[in-house]
Amino acid sequence: MAILELKGISKHFGNLAALDGVDLVVEEGQLTGLSGPNGSGKTTLFNVVSGFYEPTAGEVIFQGKNVTKMRPDERAAMGLVRTFQSNVLFGQASVLDNVVWASSLESKTNSWAAFLNTRKHREEEKAIVKKAREILEFWGFSGVEDVLASELSHGDQRRLGLAVASATNPKLLLIDEPVGGIGGEERDSVVAHIKLLQQQGITIILVEHHVKTILAICERFVVLDFGRKIADGKPLEVAAQANVIEAYLGTREVGK
Amino acid sequence: MNTTWTYSRIKTIALPILGLAGAIIIAYAGSDRILTYLIPAYIWGIVVFGWTAIFRVGQFSLGQGAFMMIGAYASAILTTSVAETTQITSAIFQLPTLVGMLLAGVIAGIFALIVGAATLRLGGIFFCIVTLAFNELIRVVAVGIPEWFGGVNGILAPFPAPFGIDFQHSKKPFYFLTLIVLVFAAIVFWRLDRSRLGRHFRAVAANKNLAEHTGLRLSKYRIIAFTVAGFFAGVAGALFGHYLHVVTPTLFGLPEAIIVLIMCTVGGTSTPIVGPLVGALILSPAGDYLTSKFQGGKPLVFGILVVLVAFFLVNGVTSLPNSFINLFRRRSRRPAEART
Repeated sequence: MAILELKGISKHFGNLAALDGVDLVVEEGQLTGLSGPNGSGKTTLFNVVSGFYEPTAGEVIFQGKNVTKMRPDERAAMGLVRTFQSNVLFGQASVLDNVVWASSLESKTNSWAAFLNTRKHREEEKAIVKKAREILEFWGFSGVEDVLASELSHGDQRRLGLAVASATNPKLLLIDEPVGGIGGEERDSVVAHIKLLQQQGITIILVEHHVKTILAICERFVVLDFGRKIADGKPLEVAAQANVIEAYLGTREVGK
Repeated sequence: MNTTWTYSRIKTIALPILGLAGAIIIAYAGSDRILTYLIPAYIWGIVVFGWTAIFRVGQFSLGQGAFMMIGAYASAILTTSVAETTQITSAIFQLPTLVGMLLAGVIAGIFALIVGAATLRLGGIFFCIVTLAFNELIRVVAVGIPEWFGGVNGILAPFPAPFGIDFQHSKKPFYFLTLIVLVFAAIVFWRLDRSRLGRHFRAVAANKNLAEHTGLRLSKYRIIAFTVAGFFAGVAGALFGHYLHVVTPTLFGLPEAIIVLIMCTVGGTSTPIVGPLVGALILSPAGDYLTSKFQGGKPLVFGILVVLVAFFLVNGVTSLPNSFINLFRRRSRRPAEART
């Protein structure tokens, strides 16, 4: 079943067409890599899907429902969650508090119960903290729950951002350049965890510059260039396509 | 347990008890003259809690004076029993004063809800400008409809007389009334801050894009903070009106809205209760004293004070003990590595 359908998405900024009639159908459980040169429209596409921008034309269908006019938080409540390159919410709060915040978005008790601190709410809070600790354990943060988020290394902040996003029980996760600016062991760890998230049943779209990462974990590779989809298919095949190589290496300019 | 834990426990348990005990002792040991300084200070305390709550959701309100004004007029109209021939709103409700004050808060809260719902989606500077304009709007309406609001002369607000207690000849009953409201407001804002709501408030302030994309409805939490703050500003305005016995269009306005933010800045906004309360307790009596000594002294001294605080004490007066403790205690920083 298709979890996300984009129908003819266009986004214009004045005369500039950042996206020009993009169609995309993402099946449930898929891990899709989305790439393209700088300015190709990757992030704009993310912004349209998550609700940060309203598209100039086209429709965003999530789980069979047209969400084009919905606010980001309404989409997130349905399970469509995006991350930002810097996804640390509270730099001045502990690692645990960051994840507890995200987990508490799912809480069932209303604001009055929270304000009056009813027994039901206290029990729920306990469950939320327990769940947050489990998530932190999964992401390898055991033992550093009380460290301030801003004191974490760059790579660890990236992982914390993913932990925060995954704490909201997303169905579709849009991950924006999770390994940009980090390398080596840290990158491998982040990539491995994204694969694990997919195995938990979360559909993932990954914006990534680093083609190797996409080849390593994605089942599908979509390439954008000048706001148009220029390739879509199995990662290895897409990476070998002439127009993709051209877009990346810029032979067009060289050949002219 | 480490020292940080003990220190924070001392703060949350001992400080309120000591403060309350001090407030009660002053009422009996001190003179009425001291109480004339403390009653306004407590009333401002009620207002600054609200302003800080709004500030901690990442918004900047210049409209708290308007909500105080709404509360003051509402309570005066609802409770007065003096029939004025020129004023159609006089002596038609004749409610008990305490009920009037409560309703004044509710009315101010409803206004805050409407203004908030209409403008808080804008956020930032636009919200700030709208609240500023709202301040002026209320004043213009108060002056412009003398049949309702008594024009520039204002309207009388009766002394409270609940359960036969005499509020007119002694300051003590009024002092305790404001103290009770202050404590109630402190508990409400403290609960707001400590509950899940406070967590969401901080999320909106810390990173609104991320919070929204993770699933938080920003406007809901901004409106909650603004409405609760509006309610308490209304109650505070009503208290002030009954305390002064008269409500005039110049009672609250932009200068008062700015004084509220000066109190919060000087006290410090990193805490929801202690910082703003300390600011109000210092600046309200200081302002009253300065005004009694020479006209114009209050804005002059307050202006200089804000500049000094902005330069040397960004987190306000209440950050002083912590910075002092940190001087003597070497902070044990844990290693930043979080890898497994």
